[in-house]
Amino acid sequence: MFPHLSGLTLPCAPSRAGCTVRAFAWHPHTNKFAVALLDDSIRVYNSNSATVPSLKHRLQRNVAAMAWKPLCASILAVACQSCVLVWHLDPTSLSTRPSSGCAQVLSCPGHSPVTSLAWAPSGERLLSASPVDTAMLVWDVSTETCVQLQWFGGGGVTYLAWSPDGSKVLAATPSAVFRVWEAQMWTCERWPTIRGRCQTGCWSPDGSRLLFTVLGESVIYSLSFSEYRGEMQGQVGGSKTASIVADLSETTFETLYGEERIGGEVHSMVWDPTGERLAVIIRGHPESPNSQPAVAVFRTRNSPVFELLPCGFVRGERGARPQLISFHPCFPQGALLTVCWSSGKISHIPFFFVGALEPHASPRRSPVPVPAWHPRASPPSGAPHTCTGAGCAAPAPIKGGFSLPLLSSP
Amino acid sequence: AARAVIGRCQARRRRGRCVLGWRVAAAITWSVLLLPICTAAFIILSGLDPFHPVRWISNSFNDLYTSYVIFCIFLMSMVIIIISIFNIEFYAVVPSIPCSRLALIGKIIHPQQVIHSFVHAIMGMLVTWCATVMTKGRFQFLAVSCTPSEGLEDAVPQMCLNEYHLFFLLSGAFLGYSYSLFYLINNMNYLPFPIIQQYKYLRFRRSLPLLIKHSCVESLHFVRNFCVTYYFFGYIPKVWICTTMDLHTDGKLHPLDTLSGLLDLSLFYHTWLSGVFLLMTWYIAWLLFKIYATESHHFPIQPTFAQETDQCLPKILNSNPPLLIKFLALQDLMLLSQYSPVRRQEVFSLSQPGGHPHNWTAISRECLSLLSDLTQRLIAQQEAAAAANGRAKPPVGESSPINMSFQSQRSNIVLRASMSPLVKPSLMPVKTSPGSDVGSPFSSPALNYKMGVVDIKSPWHGPVQSPHVMRRGPKLWTSVSDQQMNGSHHESFPVLSAARTGTEAVQPRFIYTWLQNKQEQIKTFLSKRALIMYFFSKHPEASIQAVFSDAQMHIWALEGLSHLVAASFTEDQFGVVQTTLPAILNTLLTLQEVVDRHFKLPHVSSKPPRISGSLVDTSYKTLRFALRASLKTALYRITTVFGEHLNAVQVSTEHKKRLQQFLEYKE
Repeated sequence: MFPHLSGLTLPCAPSRAGCTVRAFAWHPHTNKFAVALLDDSIRVYNSNSATVPSLKHRLQRNVAAMAWKPLCASILAVACQSCVLVWHLDPTSLSTRPSSGCAQVLSCPGHSPVTSLAWAPSGERLLSASPVDTAMLVWDVSTETCVQLQWFGGGGVTYLAWSPDGSKVLAATPSAVFRVWEAQMWTCERWPTIRGRCQTGCWSPDGSRLLFTVLGESVIYSLSFSEYRGEMQGQVGGSKTASIVADLSETTFETLYGEERIGGEVHSMVWDPTGERLAVIIRGHPESPNSQPAVAVFRTRNSPVFELLPCGFVRGERGARPQLISFHPCFPQGALLTVCWSSGKISHIPFFFVGALEPHASPRRSPVPVPAWHPRASPPSGAPHTCTGAGCAAPAPIKGGFSLPLLSSP
Repeated sequence: AARAVIGRCQARRRRGRCVLGWRVAAAITWSVLLLPICTAAFIILSGLDPFHPVRWISNSFNDLYTSYVIFCIFLMSMVIIIISIFNIEFYAVVPSIPCSRLALIGKIIHPQQVIHSFVHAIMGMLVTWCATVMTKGRFQFLAVSCTPSEGLEDAVPQMCLNEYHLFFLLSGAFLGYSYSLFYLINNMNYLPFPIIQQYKYLRFRRSLPLLIKHSCVESLHFVRNFCVTYYFFGYIPKVWICTTMDLHTDGKLHPLDTLSGLLDLSLFYHTWLSGVFLLMTWYIAWLLFKIYATESHHFPIQPTFAQETDQCLPKILNSNPPLLIKFLALQDLMLLSQYSPVRRQEVFSLSQPGGHPHNWTAISRECLSLLSDLTQRLIAQQEAAAAANGRAKPPVGESSPINMSFQSQRSNIVLRASMSPLVKPSLMPVKTSPGSDVGSPFSSPALNYKMGVVDIKSPWHGPVQSPHVMRRGPKLWTSVSDQQMNGSHHESFPVLSAARTGTEAVQPRFIYTWLQNKQEQIKTFLSKRALIMYFFSKHPEASIQAVFSDAQMHIWALEGLSHLVAASFTEDQFGVVQTTLPAILNTLLTLQEVVDRHFKLPHVSSKPPRISGSLVDTSYKTLRFALRASLKTALYRITTVFGEHLNAVQVSTEHKKRLQQFLEYKE
């Protein structure tokens, strides 16, 4: 795909072979999500309506990431080969094929291919980044103006994550260094890693802790930041070193289906908005046939002290590898994990629990739980193929390693 | 205005911090400090000799320390200071946008601008004189001894005019004048505020490549234009200089105002280079002033000492400071509402004896009055647009009934908006507004407009309108004239007008009518002449830009207000925000309606024009899109945080419906 970046697998677009879903994005406030398919069309599924708009644009090629604008009804930013497309969808419209006139084109010379996007949680700015452009762009989408955030060294940006409180941004580069930007004065802290580039990362809801993984290591690192108070202008406030909070090296598990080996590098990682569940895709060893990629779920607590307890695994149909994971941003009864499998299926796995703490992020709305949908089929007819309801919810954690019964698809 | 700012600053310095004085001083200092670097680069490039690089470099470095270079740097520092003073005198946070070509010409021949151009031309000449001195060689002196002609060995050596030098000086004046003209046309005196906060050094570094590129291209264009001008008119200054200074023309040298004379590559290169040098030093001064002036300023919320009361944010917002200070205060409000919980706490706090939420009241009142002012202005503009639409049709009486009914419907909507709860913050249902029944298809549209205008005028000067709001933006030429025009339309229906204006005195009314008719006749007569139309015709885009020219203030007011309201959900201990929540929601929703309607007008594009990434900032052209987006975001921010609790807030039924749509994420 990107010959100059050979050896890089982009976090948002994993090995494209056998991949059917290019990108997935939940709307931050409603029961609505967008799925980018292999043919670069985007479908928008909504729990309240049967119409599934399909978005196509001549510039919409090699979709690598999507993001819904927060504090907005229906604006979707799409990272494409040559530009960022911003779709303005009418939430009340019944049209299944919005015209390409609904899309704003944000392009900047030298800024392509765009592979990562992040909206500010306040909904005012959009960040876009490309692995080949050393500059990260901050867009004012309404006026289509951008400001380049330039630095020297380290190459482009492969992964972006804006902390839920809006104060910091993680920007991973293709080299063994990543940066944490402070989002008020836009200064950054540089974090060299020992082995490889930062593969993925996620923020705690209050933006005080960053979990990240490094290519070539099967551990999760944690980096804590001093609590954000507007006075410390221009300081990121990271602690001196990152600490290892989980070791995910390969382990053998006794399951209903026999012995299975799970463990290895972390491919992607998401933290639910309440900060109580953490889901990671663990990539198995490609050499050993037994080792399979799996989605591992952890129970987490961020305060008063950080805790990370294993909780269980999620497995799809036989042979299906998990490719993208995402948490529903406002699931009222707990957390709702969405997994896109290599078979082209998307499953929603609810976790029912009572939150220990009120979420720090904006108060959530109360949407209805969503059944699982197949991206190709229309929602009502497509039979849910994975677990729904309490049957699949993760049971109480068993401490001391990965000794949980595997959750498998029925 | 700038002088007032500085004067005010100096008056305040006794008490405490001064907002602008230090910034200006720092900007000038930095631009003077950067001058030697530019000069060094210029000297190195002007002695360009690619075949003898070592000699070139060593010569250039030797030249740097010579006394005349140091003198030139001193002289050019003076020039930079004068240019900076002009930047400070002419800056504006609200751009003035000429709505027609005539207005633009009026701006160009305005005495202020003439002085600006004249001084810049002189300064340009000075800079190029310095450039010729530093370049040395054949450009250095105005008078040189003539080439001795053969055969006459005993002739007295005569002084001849060095046309190259004259060419250089004139090019400097031309460049200075062009700079001044483009400064005006491109609204370069406008101070755009950056979309993200960054340190000054980073902002400067980010703009530097653009600045260099822009100077090179601009200099190329200016020099090309100058060559053309010199080709046609170059003989005039030449002959004049020769006669006044008693110089001869050297017959041996090619005159420069010929084609072959101008095709001198070295001359062109040096002219271009000195042009780049001139533009770069001036643009650096301009850029630094812009960066320093728009840097965010930290205003205290509550005074630590009693003397500092007039520097506090609520006080500044409610007083009538220079516009730049007001902009900085609103920017600070936006930043504190978003990033600083401690300062938000101060906003929500109660006064110590008495327990009144003075800070919050002052801040919210000012923001609301700004927003309702904008609402009124937009309504007036929509009026004007509707009226202009009506005028485009065959004028008197001939318009089709469909058209008329359409118009009356529209004006009806406008009326409604003008009578909406914004004007009367009571919860009166909108349907009872007295003007709404006039909109039958049989009444004249002009009549309705008239009503609308009256309705608009009253709150405009009424108590709702804050007297402190400054409207320094360009007068909306459209609205005034078109309303008058409508008035005259209206008078051409004697029956209808008699029915309506029965109570008014007849005699003055009649004279007024007659005058208006005459005025209208003259206007129609003039508008038939194509040339005059060319100058008078208003660019629709420009008039829309003019309406939104100060929208940056409103954007910050919206952001600040909505962030504060959202934060109050968890941080407001005394419930001070709750009391103003209905008023805030009413204002925002009314504005939302009006803005929505604005974007549905004809001639109004719904997408921002593409902005090229050039040095000249044209962000004022897209402010209305930013306003629309931040208005929606502001409403969503409030509804998302408050959720179902908003049902308990008292707003009119229409607004309740609208709020419900926001709650369901369907807007």
